[in-house]
Amino acid sequence: MEVRDVRHSYRRRTVLRGVDLHLRPGVVAGIVGENGAGKTTLMKILAGELRPGHGTVHHRGRFGYCPQRAVLNDALTVRQHLHFFRAAFRLTHVRHAEGIMSALGLASHVDERAGELSGGTRQKLNLTLALMHDPQVLLLDEPYQGFDWDTYRRFWELAARLRDAGRSILVVSHLAYDTERLDELWTLSGGLLRPGAVDAQ
Amino acid sequence: MTGHLALLVTATRYALIEHARNRFALALVAVFLPLWTSLTYLAMPETPSPVRLRATGQWLTPAGNELTAISGALNAVTLIAGFMMFAATFERSCFDRRLALAGYPWPHLVLAKVAALALAAAAVSAYATAVTFLTLSPRQPLVLFAALFCAALTYGALGVGFGSVLTREVEGMFAIVMTSIIDLALQNPVMSSEADSPLVRWLPSYGAMQTGTAAGFSTAVPLQDLGVQLTWFAGATLASLLVFRHRVRTRVGPGEPWTAAEFVR
Repeated sequence: MEVRDVRHSYRRRTVLRGVDLHLRPGVVAGIVGENGAGKTTLMKILAGELRPGHGTVHHRGRFGYCPQRAVLNDALTVRQHLHFFRAAFRLTHVRHAEGIMSALGLASHVDERAGELSGGTRQKLNLTLALMHDPQVLLLDEPYQGFDWDTYRRFWELAARLRDAGRSILVVSHLAYDTERLDELWTLSGGLLRPGAVDAQ
Repeated sequence: MTGHLALLVTATRYALIEHARNRFALALVAVFLPLWTSLTYLAMPETPSPVRLRATGQWLTPAGNELTAISGALNAVTLIAGFMMFAATFERSCFDRRLALAGYPWPHLVLAKVAALALAAAAVSAYATAVTFLTLSPRQPLVLFAALFCAALTYGALGVGFGSVLTREVEGMFAIVMTSIIDLALQNPVMSSEADSPLVRWLPSYGAMQTGTAAGFSTAVPLQDLGVQLTWFAGATLASLLVFRHRVRTRVGPGEPWTAAEFVR
């Protein structure tokens, strides 16, 4: 993924002043930034949900996006979600999704409706939907909110497996936890992306 | 099944499951519809109310409470269909957007909503037609069903539009309730002295009310009025489709490389 000089404003408030980023294959990268730094705006632009005021975003290959808030249909079961998105991604089966669900400990909830799931379990389904088509570039916006320690650990194991398979992962978080698990770390501050973590974080 | 048909069937199936799990809407159908239709019949005077069928120019003089029972049934089905579609659109706009981002074609998503609406509207209208037999014996039950069905379709499409445009749930509920009340109250000669005014012809359920009145108290089949109602449905669907598309559209297709031209201004 190649991002060049992305700028964005909401009316007079400038959020991004010229973001450049190159995400190589087989890399787990992180972007940290304080609340209101523009992380979610940047993610929406990278995901194609929002058109930036200026700049370019180049993607190659399959692409997955896990939004910060679990975007699910409360009336449908976990299994129905998988089949709905299987149709969206034009997949012939959901075996890859089942593998992710096992890795995250979601498989036992397959016949429960999304509206009845706990916050952490909803987030697992949210993540599964982003991963089920085996994307080559994966954007994760605060992906482990609500995870217990065991799921959190499983999440990082899964991320490491994906990286070893040559996938690119970009994790956005407001806290610079787990920097040792990242191959690259960037800080979004003042509308610009800078390498490394700032001292305050 | 071809790819397009399979996508449409899948989306329709899940839209129907969602409607079936909307307990509040089901409670409205089971309780509110017969209650409201019966109350409007019991509360209104039996005094004959002259009403004109514009398609034939014929004046009818049904009992005021029987005419209001038909108006009440229309009011109930429009509220239920409008609410169901508003809820399905309002609560699911982010989910629909995510599906579209994953590659689900938005026309299939919107057509599935329309197909699910048609099936739900048919079921609710059939039930409402049966319920009207508690209060009167409509001369043409099938025509009454058609009137209720077309009105439910129209308000269902309006519900999709409200669900795509409005930002708060209460705004949508208020918009649907007030539209239906104003729409039907102005057409009822028991409640409005302007029920025969030319302006009334522009109300969203005018065609359905005329058709329902003809079905209840005459042997005329006002196809022209049904056509007017279907035109309202088509217009509301088109407008809703455009705003829905605006809400769920994505910048790029799934798996496509993003070109600089997509984003450069």
